Amino acid sequence: MTSSPSSARIGDVLVRVDGLVRTYGSTRAVRGASFDVQAGEIHALCGHNGAGKSTVVKMLSGQESPDAGTIHLAGRLVDLGSRQAAQRGGVALVDQELSVVPALTVMENLMLGDPQVGWLDRRRTAARRFRPVLDDLGLGHLRLDQPLTDLGIGERQLVEIARALGQQARLVILDEPTATLSDVESAHVYSAVRKVAASGCSVLFVSHRLGEVLELCDTVTVMRDGDVVATTSTADLTVESLIVQMLGELPERPDRRLDQDTESEVLARIDGLSVPGRVDGMSMTLHAGRVHAVAGQLGSGASEVLRALAGLEPGASGSAVVDGCPVHLGHPSGAARAGIAFASNDRKSEGLFLDKPIAWNLLATRLGHLTRLGVIRGGRWSSSLARLVALCGLDPKRSGHSVGSLSGGNQQKVFVGRSLGRDDVRVLLLDDPTRGVDVGGRAAIHALLRDAADSGMAVLFASTELEELLDLADVVTTMHQGKVVGRHAGRTSGALLLREMTHGSAADEPSAPAEQPPGRAEKREVHA
Amino acid sequence: MTTLTEPPVATAAAEHGSREPGRRKPTASDLVVVLAVLAVVALGLTTDRFVTVANAKAIVTSASLVGIAALGLTLVMIGGSAVSLAISQTVAAVGMIFLSAQSLGLVPALVLAIVGGAAITALQGAVVGYAAANPVVLTIAASFAITGIATGVSGGSSVSASGRGYDHLNATPGGLALSVYVLIALVVVVEWVLRRTRFGRTLYLVGENRPAARAAGMAVGRTTAVAWAIAGALFAVTAAFTAAFNTSANVNLGGTLTFDAIAAVLAGGTPISGGRGSAVRTLAGAVLIAAVSDILLLRGYSTGVQVMVKGLIVLFVVVIVHVRTKGRHA
Repeated sequence: MTSSPSSARIGDVLVRVDGLVRTYGSTRAVRGASFDVQAGEIHALCGHNGAGKSTVVKMLSGQESPDAGTIHLAGRLVDLGSRQAAQRGGVALVDQELSVVPALTVMENLMLGDPQVGWLDRRRTAARRFRPVLDDLGLGHLRLDQPLTDLGIGERQLVEIARALGQQARLVILDEPTATLSDVESAHVYSAVRKVAASGCSVLFVSHRLGEVLELCDTVTVMRDGDVVATTSTADLTVESLIVQMLGELPERPDRRLDQDTESEVLARIDGLSVPGRVDGMSMTLHAGRVHAVAGQLGSGASEVLRALAGLEPGASGSAVVDGCPVHLGHPSGAARAGIAFASNDRKSEGLFLDKPIAWNLLATRLGHLTRLGVIRGGRWSSSLARLVALCGLDPKRSGHSVGSLSGGNQQKVFVGRSLGRDDVRVLLLDDPTRGVDVGGRAAIHALLRDAADSGMAVLFASTELEELLDLADVVTTMHQGKVVGRHAGRTSGALLLREMTHGSAADEPSAPAEQPPGRAEKREVHA
Repeated sequence: MTTLTEPPVATAAAEHGSREPGRRKPTASDLVVVLAVLAVVALGLTTDRFVTVANAKAIVTSASLVGIAALGLTLVMIGGSAVSLAISQTVAAVGMIFLSAQSLGLVPALVLAIVGGAAITALQGAVVGYAAANPVVLTIAASFAITGIATGVSGGSSVSASGRGYDHLNATPGGLALSVYVLIALVVVVEWVLRRTRFGRTLYLVGENRPAARAAGMAVGRTTAVAWAIAGALFAVTAAFTAAFNTSANVNLGGTLTFDAIAAVLAGGTPISGGRGSAVRTLAGAVLIAAVSDILLLRGYSTGVQVMVKGLIVLFVVVIVHVRTKGRHA
């Protein structure tokens, strides 16, 4: 690093977070988080979904103001009211979402929003400052005037990290920086992070990959339900003890009737499904009447498996057969013809027609059954509508209202309801079926999916939420870095699922401590 | 658990919650619309010779040719592919086909013209629908291609009629131009297609949210191509009437029709972003523009003023539509 603005000596407390509280409506996202980060330390922030780590990151980076509690930087109380204020205070953030501008060049992206870039001679100064940072990140081959569109997604992420590192920050926050990166690219990130820390900066590293956390970080702060559970040196931790900290008491799912009824009909067979860079030879079978889950964090490929089956991944290869008929991968209408219905995790932009009435949305994909010679039959339209509205538990008086006027939970009911109560849908795919849905809505949607399975469909959903996986799924397939890790039918434990989602299997990463997973889980390894 | 980390979704939903269609309070934009309509009516009533049967006929006749083409453009716009900028050129080329085919008789010439117009436009629609081409760029390119081919084939000169059959299109049954009856009939048919058929419903859904329609496995490409094909057939109807009226056709036959049709659709309040609109709205837009132009003409304003006011009407309606759409989401 060319710059080491921090006057703090390695080992001093650089960041002190004390009693942070943040409430959204009636939900207390963070209820009193306290921890210290030392200068030169790589400090991990772990926790399961909804534990509050993103909210802490937002408060540290000036995107949210705490309701109570204080943040000290280098011994001074700071008020980080905005991203700019946080940047001036020396906090740089690399967000989960890519926030680079593809149309601009590498250098322009590096200078974006950087308060320290002057108006005169900016290119030369910027080149002097950013060149070494890029070299450290393994981007030595990039020219500064290259447009970002020439770069792969991993390189773009590295450019974004370079921007944060080049801002001469005292605290660099990386929010799941490696989730979508390949191993080689991840290794570049690790070495850059080490260099930054060695120069006296602090790094706050948010990650779901427990292996890399233990490998890279000095200290881990674990959050659960908005509280800090513990801050522990990684030397004293194993993957299993970390999982215990993240989950508290381990949830285990109740017995499933599946144990008695293992002879159900195989409805769909997926063989060697691959999406370049995302999914690597995934195989599974789907049974009629069962709810299946693919469990995996962002970047695990779980979501892409569903998208590929729905025909939304043009590069997908492999075979999928539904009810004896091969599915033409790569086109959504091919998937629909094969009896596959898909509910995206992006309800607004890839799901519903928000300005259109509930009725139109519910019936959108079955217009063929409601028409004769292309003309809509009013009687059939209204009887189908009445049946579906009742099935989904919606208010019949509101079926003329736009879907956009509904709550998130009811929107999701409409989205799921679109595929229910019809013979031609055999496989129902849902990506994160309860995203943005409150507790009551969750239960209703879980009940809908269970009913759908009972009516003879095969249901397959992708999720990262242990409770949902344990409550709803009969069969769970865990994925990590594009590969299937394990397959669990019947009883399983949340700890085992979380271990496989965050760490892969012990065999995948030889550096990981080889310990027996806890719980009485039955586990079958899959030969992918 | 998800709700903890995703407050924006919850708030957005809450914002939508208060919306109740059908019974909402009048807003400032309602008032502006009422005042504007009153102003046009008042202007009309105080204009000499405006409230006469002869003048009403003149207005609907001048609205009819633009109106038929605008109906076609309405389908394109509802389907979410913005506009076609090749309307004038398509009309010119089809008009030349129509007149040179007169020797075959009126009906075969009409069929040939309609099939030709539908085919030329459907081809563009297929590229937009299946390959997600940008309709503006594509139709600019198509307009040059069509003009180029038409110029090449005709040798750059005007095509005159090879028979007299076309003259039936200039008939005025009941004292009103035939094109007016055709416009009204087509408005009824297009409105019915939009409201009552599978194609119509699908078109609205595709126009509102193309990625969602695609993900749902709906026939996005086919629906778009069919909408453009119908649009092309309607352009051809306008072409036949225009060519019959002029008795000869060259590459400039279409005149300013492209922008006149766009203006009519927009003045009817159909948003360019797709998913909404209707045939009746477009009819209203075409008549509104024709009526205001007529008032200005009767009051002795120059052509320059008429053209400028046309632009102002479009601007006014687009702004009002925009404000009202935003109002429904706020």
